[in-house]
This record gives sequence, C-alpha cells and structure tokens, in this order.
Amino acid sequence: MGEGPVISLRDVSKVYRQGSVDIHALRDLSMDVEAGEFTVICGPSGSGKTTMLNLIGALDAATSGSIVLEGRELGGLNKKELSELRRDRIGFVFQAYNLMPVLTAYENAEMVLWVQGVDGPTRRERVMGLLEQVGLKGLEDRRPSELSGGQQQRVAIARAIASNPAVVLADEPTANVDSETAETLLGLMEELNREQGVTFLFSTHDPQVMERARRVVRLVDGNVASDERR
Amino acid sequence: MKLLRMAWRNLWRNGRRTLVTVGAMTLALWAMVLYTSLMQGMLGSMESTLLDVELGEIQIHADGYRERPSIWERIEDPEALLAALDETGLRSSARLLGGALVASGEASTGALLKGLRPERDARVSDVHERLDRGEWLDPADASGVVLGYRLARTLGVDVGDELVALSQATDGSMANDLFEVRGVLQSLSEDTDRGTVFLVEDAFRSFFALEDGAHQVIVRSGEGQELLAATGVVEEAAAASVSGVEVRTWRDLLPGIANVLDSAQAAVQVVAFIVYVVIAIMILNAMLMAVFERIREFGVLKAIGVSPRRVLALILTEGALQAALAIAVGLLASLPTLWFVVSRGIDVGQLGGTAIMGVSMDRIWTGAVSPVTIAGPVFILLFIVGLAVLFPAVKAARISPVEAIHHQ
Repeated sequence: MGEGPVISLRDVSKVYRQGSVDIHALRDLSMDVEAGEFTVICGPSGSGKTTMLNLIGALDAATSGSIVLEGRELGGLNKKELSELRRDRIGFVFQAYNLMPVLTAYENAEMVLWVQGVDGPTRRERVMGLLEQVGLKGLEDRRPSELSGGQQQRVAIARAIASNPAVVLADEPTANVDSETAETLLGLMEELNREQGVTFLFSTHDPQVMERARRVVRLVDGNVASDERR
Repeated sequence: MKLLRMAWRNLWRNGRRTLVTVGAMTLALWAMVLYTSLMQGMLGSMESTLLDVELGEIQIHADGYRERPSIWERIEDPEALLAALDETGLRSSARLLGGALVASGEASTGALLKGLRPERDARVSDVHERLDRGEWLDPADASGVVLGYRLARTLGVDVGDELVALSQATDGSMANDLFEVRGVLQSLSEDTDRGTVFLVEDAFRSFFALEDGAHQVIVRSGEGQELLAATGVVEEAAAASVSGVEVRTWRDLLPGIANVLDSAQAAVQVVAFIVYVVIAIMILNAMLMAVFERIREFGVLKAIGVSPRRVLALILTEGALQAALAIAVGLLASLPTLWFVVSRGIDVGQLGGTAIMGVSMDRIWTGAVSPVTIAGPVFILLFIVGLAVLFPAVKAARISPVEAIHHQ
C-alpha cells in the first residue's frame, strides 16, 4: 500500500439514539495507525473502544468524520464494497471466538479464502501452514466444541490472518481465557506481528495485553485521553 | 460444495426439529400424491363411463331432436352417414331411441328403449362390458333385453324374467311386446340405471314399426385426436352424406359435467395448496427459530466478508435439502400406496353407485397414475417450501453484522 498510515481517523463521531436520548460513543476522535503496529485501545466501559473497532472494521458507519483504510475512505463505499473490504483487508478476532460450530478447525480457518474464491490446493497449503503456525497441527478436523477456549481463539487468529489483511482487529481477545492461555495467545500474535508484520489493533481491559503492546491509546468519553508509544 | 456441506450440517444441529419438519413435509407429500391419484382415478372413471359407455365424444341427431326428442325426428339415411364416417376412419354406430312403459307383474315404469346393432355398437361403447349379471344382447335373440340395475329392481325382474313393453308405434298402432331379461347392467348413470332398456335394432324396429332412420349416431374420436379437429371431420362427413342433422360434442351435450371435470384438476391443486400452507407455517416457524438461534453466526459470516447472497443461499439450501429429503422419502412411501390404490382400489361399499352429477361411482374406487400425480404435489411442495424459507433467509441475509455479533 501507500506511504501513509494504514488507518486514519479524523474527527470521527458516533452518536447512537436510544429513545429520545443521544448517546455520544465517540466525539471528534482523530488517530492514525501505522503498518506493523501492535496497538492497544484501552479505557473504561463505555469509553468507545468497541465502537471504534466497529467503525474501523467497516461493520458500522460513523455519524461524522472520516475513516480511511489503506487510502480508501470508508464513508464513500457501498455495502458490497464494504463487504469486500472486510473480506480482503480486515481480520477479526472476537472475544467469544465466534467460530462456525458446524465447521472443523480447518474449515473455519479456510472460510475467508473460500469466500475470496481462492482455489482448493492454494487454500489447503495456506491453511495447513497457518494451523501449524498457531500450534493446531493435528487438530484440523476437530470442531470448535472439541477444542479448548485457547485452541478456538487460535483458530480465530488463523482465520483472521488467512487472507493477509491490512489490519487484524481484536476485540477483547483474551477475555474468555485463563491468564496462561492469554499469555500464549498474546505471544502468538506478537510473533505474527514481529515476523510477518501483521498490524494488530486490540481493544482490551486486560493489563497483560497492555503490557505487551508497543502503543497504548487510552479512550475516555469517546476521545483519546492519552497515546503512549513504547 | 462448502455451502451444501454447511447447510447439511446445520440441519442436524437440531436433528429432532429437522426430523419433525421433514416428517411433516413427507406426510403432506404422501397424502397429496395419494389424494391426486384417487381424484384422477375418480375423474378418469367418470370420464370413461361418460365417453366410453354412455355418450362417445361426438353425437349426431336430426335437427331439433335434442330440443324435442321424438320417435319421428330421425336421421333419414343413417347408413349413408355411417359409410361416410367409416371413410374418415372414425368409429361410429347408430342407435334408435323411443319411450315406452315397461312392466312386470304389478310393477311398471317409464323407460327409454335403445335399439342398436351389438357388433357395430361395440366399436363405440363399452356398455356390453359393464354387465352386473347375465349376458349382453345377441342379434339371434330378438326378444332379449338388457336393463339398468335400478330399473330391474323397480320392476322386480332378474335375468330370465319376462318384461312387457307398451308404447305407440310410428304407424299409430299400439306397440306391445313381451321381452326376456338377458342381462342387468352395473351402475353407470342415473339415466341408464333408472330407466334404460337396451334391445337389438331389429326388435326395436319391429316394436315401433319403424322401417328406417336412426335417432342418434355416436362417434368416437381417434386416439389422441383433438375433439375440435374430430368434430370438424364429422361435420364434413355429415354434410356430404345427409341433410338436416346437427353435430354436437359431449361437452355441448353435458356442459355441466364437462365444467366439473375441467375444474376438478384445479380443485385438486387448491386442496393440495391448502394442506401445504399448513406445512409452510410449520416450516416457516422452524426456519425462523433456526435463523434466530444463529443470528450471531450470520453476523460473523457477514463480518468476515460473506456476501448477503451467500447467506441467503445457505438458508435456501437448508430448506431445499429438507424438501429433497421429504420428496425422496415421500415418493418412496407413495410407491406401495399407489400400487395398492391403482391395482386393488378401495372398496367404497354402499357409496358404490352413488352418482356425482348423474355419473355413477364404481364400487371399487381405484387411483390413477400419470406424471401429474407425482409432479403436481412435488412442485407445489417445492414452491411452498421456497416461499416459507424465503422470509427467514432474507432476514438472515439483511442482518446488520454489528448488531448480530453482539446479539445475546
């Protein structure tokens, strides 16, 4: 991609209407994320972390302001283009893993590549490599219900990076696992970031995650309260 | 392929619900195939009784005979007409019709005497095959007659008994004769059952002192020949050979029954549709539940870039798979049932002989099988399933990923 930041937010606001009350989830938020960053968004509940990830992930639209991903203004894209952008350039890791329960670990990790129309042999080579990388070799044929929480999150990470996205958005990725598993998962994501240059953007409360981050952005009341680079 | 695999596995996440849904579809399909077969059998039997036994497809009468039937209103030269019809290749036969009082012992009633040549009449009518007891007419036995079964009951006669007929002959004299009952017919139609006496042509002419002419010529259309085309041929042959006659199709003669037969097929489809609507509500409910339970999954699918079209296809495939299962099992279950109703039939007991629009039902109600018997219920099932699955499928496809992912 180009020289500029992978993600650029300028004066982004998001207002939800609840009955007759307007709730300002984000207020004129501006921020850039460079390629290869390992960034954590933290802040108290209701500070706007998840809203921010939803907007960057093209899952929701900003009320005002501009969000640019790899030079493309998200506000100017239609639903189909947004769907293709999510498929090709954004990886998601969710708190609750959110794997398809009827698919095996291999099939879950393969999903995005299948949607992209990548041919079978290429998919197989890529996915088998990824599953080995995330430590799930030999567990390819297991369904999510036959895997531990940590193993499921590894499958979710493999699915998120399968298409070589510009950024992986991880919403509280360690919230549902014990601290030991969280440590392992963070180690894995750090390794992917360091060795493959995958850009990670986390939202979390977890001090373990914040300790490992090279940049910590603190949100308070929908705006950046502090931005610390390490 | 992946979509199909996902859809198939999704079905068995709640196997009991899938089995109940497929079971209901299967039962509905089986019932509709059976119902269609029985209705087709009944309609076919009615049509066969009407055309093969009673009317033929086309009839020719002297002008005005149908409005005011009379022994004197007759086709002057039926032989010329029959010869002309023979040249067209169409099967035809003439009949003589005359009213009389028939009596046996103390019982008497009015009846229509039908005079015919047994050999030629067999080309156009299967009435000789519809005997309940006794034998059909024999030209060698001029005094032998065959009666409708209710007429025989009214007169208290059976095979071998004597029957007196009284009427006015065409020469003005009193016509009276003694006949012997050769046979009694099965139930065919109200008119035939209650008041028809068949006798050979010579006996009829002798009884009514009628030397020539005929009152009715029955014509059968060729195999697979359109009624309209056959009527045109008959009209041409009639115009070329005789004058003062009118050609009418059976639809002109019995428009009420023709309409009933035409609309009965549509009525079968309407009943099938109503039965399926009940099934559709069940499918809709099951699919809505299946979609509601998986809202978060659909949100994730959409978040990772699966298009709404693919989500729609996934749900439709789940519906299609259930329908395919129901069709496979339903048709398999239909085979022995169809075999039974077609080859054995259902004994409707006392209902046998009941007339519908004047045409009698057989005592054994048999089914019929044609491509429509299977295709009709199957296509309606597919249509209804498609309709029932469409709403949940559209709902899943249009789901907002951000709302769906955070759905509790």
